[in-house]
Amino acid sequence: MAEESFLADDFIRQLMSVGEVDLLVGIPSYNNASTIEQTLHSVEESLRQSFVRERAVILNVDGGSGDETRQIVEQSSERRDAGHKGLTSLRTIHRISCMYDRSPSQGLALRSIVAAADLLRARACAVISPATTSLTPSWIANLLRPVYREGLDFVAPLYVRSRFQGLLARELLYPMSRAVFGQRIRELYSDEWGFSGRLASQCLEQDVWREEAVRTRPEAWMAILANGAGLKCGQYFLGPKTVSPSATGPDIVEAIRQTVGNLFWCMETNQGYWMGRSNSQSVSTFGPEHELSADGIPPSQDKMFDLFRSGVNELEPILASILAPDTHAQIKAIALSDRTKFRFASELWVKTLYEFAASYHRAVLNRDHLVQALVPLYRGRVYSFLLEHANSSAEAMEAQSEILCQEFERQKAYLVERWTAKN
Amino acid sequence: MQDSPTPPSIVSQPQPESSALLLHDENLWYKDAVIYQLHVRTFCDSNADGIGDFRGLTSKLDYLQELGINAIWLLPFYPSPLRDDGYDIADYTSVHPSYGTLQDFKDFLTAAHNRRIRVITEMVVNHTSDQHPWFQESRSSRENPKRDWYVWSDTDNRYQGVRIIFVDTEMSNWAWDPISKSYYWHRFFNHQPDLNYDNPAVREAMWEVMKFWLDIGVDGFRLDAVPYLIERDGTSCENLPETHEIVRDFRKRIDLAYPGKMLLAEANQWPADVRSYFGNGDEFHMAFHFPLMPRMFMAVKLEDRKPIIEILEQTPQIPENCQWCIFLRNHDELTLEMVTDVERDYMYDEYAVDKAMRINLGIRRRLAPMLENDRRRVELLTGMLLSMPGTPIIYYGDEIGMGDNIYLGDRNGVRTPMQWNGGWNAGFSAADPERLYSPLISNPVYGYQAINVDSQRRSAHSLLSWTKSVIQTRNAFRVFSRGSIEFLNPSNHRVLAYVRRLGEEKVLIVNNLSSSAQAVELNLQMYKRHIPIEMFGRNLFPRIGDLPYLLTLGPYQFYWFRLRRL
Repeated sequence: MAEESFLADDFIRQLMSVGEVDLLVGIPSYNNASTIEQTLHSVEESLRQSFVRERAVILNVDGGSGDETRQIVEQSSERRDAGHKGLTSLRTIHRISCMYDRSPSQGLALRSIVAAADLLRARACAVISPATTSLTPSWIANLLRPVYREGLDFVAPLYVRSRFQGLLARELLYPMSRAVFGQRIRELYSDEWGFSGRLASQCLEQDVWREEAVRTRPEAWMAILANGAGLKCGQYFLGPKTVSPSATGPDIVEAIRQTVGNLFWCMETNQGYWMGRSNSQSVSTFGPEHELSADGIPPSQDKMFDLFRSGVNELEPILASILAPDTHAQIKAIALSDRTKFRFASELWVKTLYEFAASYHRAVLNRDHLVQALVPLYRGRVYSFLLEHANSSAEAMEAQSEILCQEFERQKAYLVERWTAKN
Repeated sequence: MQDSPTPPSIVSQPQPESSALLLHDENLWYKDAVIYQLHVRTFCDSNADGIGDFRGLTSKLDYLQELGINAIWLLPFYPSPLRDDGYDIADYTSVHPSYGTLQDFKDFLTAAHNRRIRVITEMVVNHTSDQHPWFQESRSSRENPKRDWYVWSDTDNRYQGVRIIFVDTEMSNWAWDPISKSYYWHRFFNHQPDLNYDNPAVREAMWEVMKFWLDIGVDGFRLDAVPYLIERDGTSCENLPETHEIVRDFRKRIDLAYPGKMLLAEANQWPADVRSYFGNGDEFHMAFHFPLMPRMFMAVKLEDRKPIIEILEQTPQIPENCQWCIFLRNHDELTLEMVTDVERDYMYDEYAVDKAMRINLGIRRRLAPMLENDRRRVELLTGMLLSMPGTPIIYYGDEIGMGDNIYLGDRNGVRTPMQWNGGWNAGFSAADPERLYSPLISNPVYGYQAINVDSQRRSAHSLLSWTKSVIQTRNAFRVFSRGSIEFLNPSNHRVLAYVRRLGEEKVLIVNNLSSSAQAVELNLQMYKRHIPIEMFGRNLFPRIGDLPYLLTLGPYQFYWFRLRRL
């Protein structure tokens, strides 16, 4: 029986009318009625200002919004200044839209976007989130330009972070992905990124679209795929990021399930690539230097230590099956320490994560449960970080981040050892 | 590929309530004209002095009649020092000796009228040559009665901020006159002083000039550089209300004394600004639509109808007795004044990569070389020119795909001798080649041995034969010249489609602007049950039904269909 097409006939007809393009900007949406119009105008403005000669299409992929997102997309028209003489843009800036009939998923949206990019032979693409209210025309141009003009295949964003923002990325995702995959991409998990048509075509060929890890966080998978295929990756400094108040992000449990689960899954599916690599390489970075801003208030630490301690106790049998005895013992020991003198050392933190990854690989228990078991340990690590750095300067925190990254790289041999161990 | 939900009608002109009235109104002849633009110097030399003349032109009228054009627009042929190709007139009521005599002109005019070809002459009203007797008198002393016929000043500070048009050559709009020791105003070259239209005597003198030629029998004037007639402090010195008063005055006199004669405005402005030159149907009969032309080239290069649609969206309605004049190329550079910087850069990069192809704010190239001698694109653009609303102008030589010589300086590269045959001097002149007013085009691609009238007359498939056929088709259907236009809006943006309509006459035009084959579905529900009949081959196409009408077009292909309800 022929495989069912995931692209609707109407969508194919829209693509036929657009024809070949140079640039494609994908906007996955789900109940973004309050911000989608502004997003569309920002994208159009970006194309008009920065890519006046290029053939471009804006593709909205909607996950079945219950609000008026789709109607707004259909009814919104290109902005024109009153009294404008001459063309608003040289070319038609196409707008097309489609809807997929399963539950909202970044991965399903991305599949339609890369399929469109492949069929339209787009050279450079970007995915933009309508929930990002700090989006400016220059953001979009900055994600597209390195791909279109510099020949990169994947461009991650770099945001201005306050000292206490993005701790999951700083303490776990960035240093671990950097050590494992060997590329220093700081924001592997983001809502905006750029990629080449070539990478889109490669992604489309992968039979991974039903995997939970890809359905939830396809961007990191895409970057790691590019990395593994020897394609060029980079990052662009975009500036501070804000999101719509209505777009509440996932809580920490869900965030770890999505991101760490994705990271472990990517390690599993790309082990042939990363096992033999050591150290890490910087990637092309565009725009002003990334730096932490000095402002920012530490998150509430009230329950953090208690949740760590209770988690270590309650999950003892699970942690015992995941961690090496020595590691587990060290964690239990620090869980008994005085909360004011508590410290979750980087060396132990890295070892813990690597053992979690190896256990994920060996599937010692349900992988989703395994990832969730990391949550209390992560809380302990963050609590320790906040105790140590509540009054540190941005520079000192950056320096600490780099030390942590080096620790991940130093212990990579241990990861390989655990990963390849028979039991 | 069905039509998107935007309104199908983007631009439409009001349909005349009584088309029968207009059809028989000979005074509106300019609406039905296909104008052929030429310089007498370039066309045919009868006396072997190397310069084309009126006797030579008269001998070629049969060719023009055969081509199907029904009006000729002559570039300036008056006595002149020829420092601006005749736009520096030294005597308004005579013929430059190189081109013959006044009697030769009259004979030409009679011969043209005998072939039902009307003649439009150039009237350079804004300025004269500095060799004109009026200026010679004016500069001779500050007390001379003609002193006030030009715009003089003791300083060059007046009218600050007024743009300079010939930016490549002029530093100021003022020039110092060492004889009368004062400055004179000039919007063009410094040897072309502007007349002072605040002086009633100047208006009367210019009216006398017009009467002179109208009495001889010319059918209309192209008034050069109209926006610049009047100067006022604190303004751009362009399009001023007083200028319109002058035009209205000329028009009133013409309508009273010479009904059926036509005034054509050269006002290189945005359509909304040119609109005022039509007045309430009491100023110009016609005006050039300058911004459309570069956008037709742009649309084909971009493979996107947007530039054409958008500029026509910005084009206001004009009075019913008026008409736009449209063109692809002419004797000047392809002007890029009425485009944005982005558009200009694009046009330069795509159509004038070699800097020698650029002059002022434009491109000095002919149609065929601009289109890389691509017959399909030449036909597509010519087809669009002849099917859009407006009176089309064909520049001499473009009907055979003549080339240009960008190394001749100024805009002379597009003003080389007409290529009649592959023989001596291309059949243009019996003079020695060294004596020709301009070298012939002689390269292997566009040279007269390869591109000439005689060789193309022999082939039914030549560009010349095709051009004749398409003009003939246009002339056979008044809907092209007087009908309304309704743009269709198929989702395939590479296709430009529109319906022209006059009474019950309906024509569907579909143009593929792309270099690749295209499919398009047209929403023709308004024409349900009509049968499209292809107008060149007269073949029937499937009847229009309930579904969107599917057409496929080859690269740069276009269709003209009559829509008949049978």
